[in-house]
Amino acid sequence: MIRFKDFSFCYEGNTEDALKNINLEIKDGEFILLTGRSGCGKTTVLRSLNGLIPHFYPGKTTGELLYEDRSLLEMKPEEMAGKVGTVFQDPRSQFFMTDTTRELAFGCVNMGYEREEIIDRVEKTVTDLKLTEYLNRSIFALSSGEKQQIAIGSVYALAPRVFIFDEPSANLDHEATKRLAGIMQKLKEDGYTIIVADHRFYYLRDLIDTAVYIENGQIDAEYSRGEFCGLGEEERIKKGLRSVFPEKEVGIIRRKTTDSGLGKVRKTLRVDNLSFGYDKKKKVLDKLSFEAESGDVIGITGHNGAGKTTLISVLTGILKEKEGKVYYDGKKVSPAKRRRLSYLVMQDADYQLFTSSVEEELTLGIKKVNRMLVDSTLERLVLSEYRDRHPAALSEGQKQRVTIGASIIKKSEILYFDEPTSGLDYDSMIRVSGLIKELSDNGAIIFIVSHDDEFIAHTCTKKLDLDTIKQRND
Amino acid sequence: MLNQSVRDRITAVSFHGTARLDPRIKMIILIVLGCVSFLINGDIPELILMSAVTVFVCAGSDPGWGIRMLFFYILISYLNTCLKYITVPGISLLMGIFGVTIIKAIPIVTMGRWVIRSTYMDELMVALQRAKMPLTVIIPFVVMFRYIPTLGIEYKMIRNTMKIRGVSDNVFKVLLHPFATIEYILIPLLMRCLKVSDELAASGTTRGMERENKRYCLLNTGFGLCEYITAAGLILFVVIIFMLNRSSIGQYALWRQL
Repeated sequence: MIRFKDFSFCYEGNTEDALKNINLEIKDGEFILLTGRSGCGKTTVLRSLNGLIPHFYPGKTTGELLYEDRSLLEMKPEEMAGKVGTVFQDPRSQFFMTDTTRELAFGCVNMGYEREEIIDRVEKTVTDLKLTEYLNRSIFALSSGEKQQIAIGSVYALAPRVFIFDEPSANLDHEATKRLAGIMQKLKEDGYTIIVADHRFYYLRDLIDTAVYIENGQIDAEYSRGEFCGLGEEERIKKGLRSVFPEKEVGIIRRKTTDSGLGKVRKTLRVDNLSFGYDKKKKVLDKLSFEAESGDVIGITGHNGAGKTTLISVLTGILKEKEGKVYYDGKKVSPAKRRRLSYLVMQDADYQLFTSSVEEELTLGIKKVNRMLVDSTLERLVLSEYRDRHPAALSEGQKQRVTIGASIIKKSEILYFDEPTSGLDYDSMIRVSGLIKELSDNGAIIFIVSHDDEFIAHTCTKKLDLDTIKQRND
Repeated sequence: MLNQSVRDRITAVSFHGTARLDPRIKMIILIVLGCVSFLINGDIPELILMSAVTVFVCAGSDPGWGIRMLFFYILISYLNTCLKYITVPGISLLMGIFGVTIIKAIPIVTMGRWVIRSTYMDELMVALQRAKMPLTVIIPFVVMFRYIPTLGIEYKMIRNTMKIRGVSDNVFKVLLHPFATIEYILIPLLMRCLKVSDELAASGTTRGMERENKRYCLLNTGFGLCEYITAAGLILFVVIIFMLNRSSIGQYALWRQL
């Protein structure tokens, strides 16, 4: 059992407490969901549980935090290693080894188990979690979902009693999320205590015992599964929570604003029999044809490996098509021309920030800078007060807005968004959705790659499902 | 039966020959041959050194890489000799220095990449610990080893976004603003590096990376007979190379007939 008694924590160098008077009891075998807006303190709760607070992230603690009647705060992270296991948000940055088998054994090696025991534990993990097919693979050749399964396995091999998951679904597609839920179900049946912090929780709705809603570092409410799933729409939106049943929104698309691009010339992007393959044997895109015009917001969907990212790479001109043609405004456009027309907002904003201030970032690569436009864009994106800040010092949501801002200044006519809502709470999701609508109303053509049904329903006016297209072609 | 096969797969060995040597001896060879490469100057001893590295790498699960680098070495060595016969004031000297540096570095790069790719990370950790290195040295070392293979992937991502932004997106712009280009590549790379290393450290800490206890790895390894024989071979090889370098063979210039 884990017990928080009037527990508060303040990160070193901060003045405000990140957690305030937390009182919470977690029973053995309980499945707990921590939820709330970005920055509400969910992650801080998790860090207190796995020993990273106060040893790895120093700061001031008050109150008590007990693990089976021992103070957790006095236990070092390395002591906690066999007791509490943590699966972190980004599966890409949790690997020390370069191959899967050794990654599964990593924790056991650190614990100082002898060779036979390490092999026994890895064997049990592989059998229990059905990971046989992933053995002896290079870590770099795995998809996000596969990486996460290995990360879970690596923790499982240590046989902790408590499992902690920090935003586990942020980087996963539907299939991988379903598999994740399956693994969690098994862990729950085997009696593990599970604590998950996530914005998207539809996949957990049959597993949750208690949902804890945190606001400003305090526990605002505790719900049972029934209460939580039955929250009214209005209440849910007020709390900034994502939908529990996003599948109800599948197939719903937004009606296009009728007067979009008013007074402007409508331009059409036409893709004609587009094919692409990384090698001669297998085509990732096969004779794809579609049309889009100014004001369209097109959601590109499909399973992992269906070619979503490849499609936007070809359309943006990063990759050159093998066959087929792309027309814009009636003229054929080459990859180099498409690069000038397009802008891509990547999932990871860090790859896109090159300079030392927000303002410089917005005007990078522009020859004649229109000051008025820069000012109004900063205003529009609520970034005015950050114009001289270093982009790296911004929050993820702000970084994303900076990259969107650069597209406005570049006056890109075709925009591409790759998974813009991964790890975003309801409010940020609605904000991004609103921004995209605004851009499309101003006459841009927008493509969005996303697994997020709720977001697609709010934002897109058309859907391009690569799976159905493939089936039709076959 | 089924479980037996899972066990076999867990203990499967994907590297053979010299690649199965203890990581400590691999590191020693890398350092010693690296120094030798910069201390000798005869064409023939250098070629022998490179050939020896190639043979060693080929015997350790990576023949493609070794042979490719040997050809590359011969090509650069040839071009470098050609340079001696073209005299453009200033540039010739500069290119000559550049060429010699590359020639010296090729054996090190060949060996270095092979060490990284042919060493299981857990064995590296255990070997360094047995060599009495403190954890504060081992952990950054392991993180670095693990990070090198991802650099290529990260670089490609950054170049793609640069293309979209119209920043240094063609050879002309790169040549015109070489320092700005380096800056635009380095900044996102460093940012990613900081973020990833922070997350990596947190993830490792919760899995007991900082525990001081003795560790064992998945496969049996250690400093045994093979390692001692290799070490003896290395000493002999270094002595021979230096002797050749000082003898008349060391003075012999390759591609003399040019």
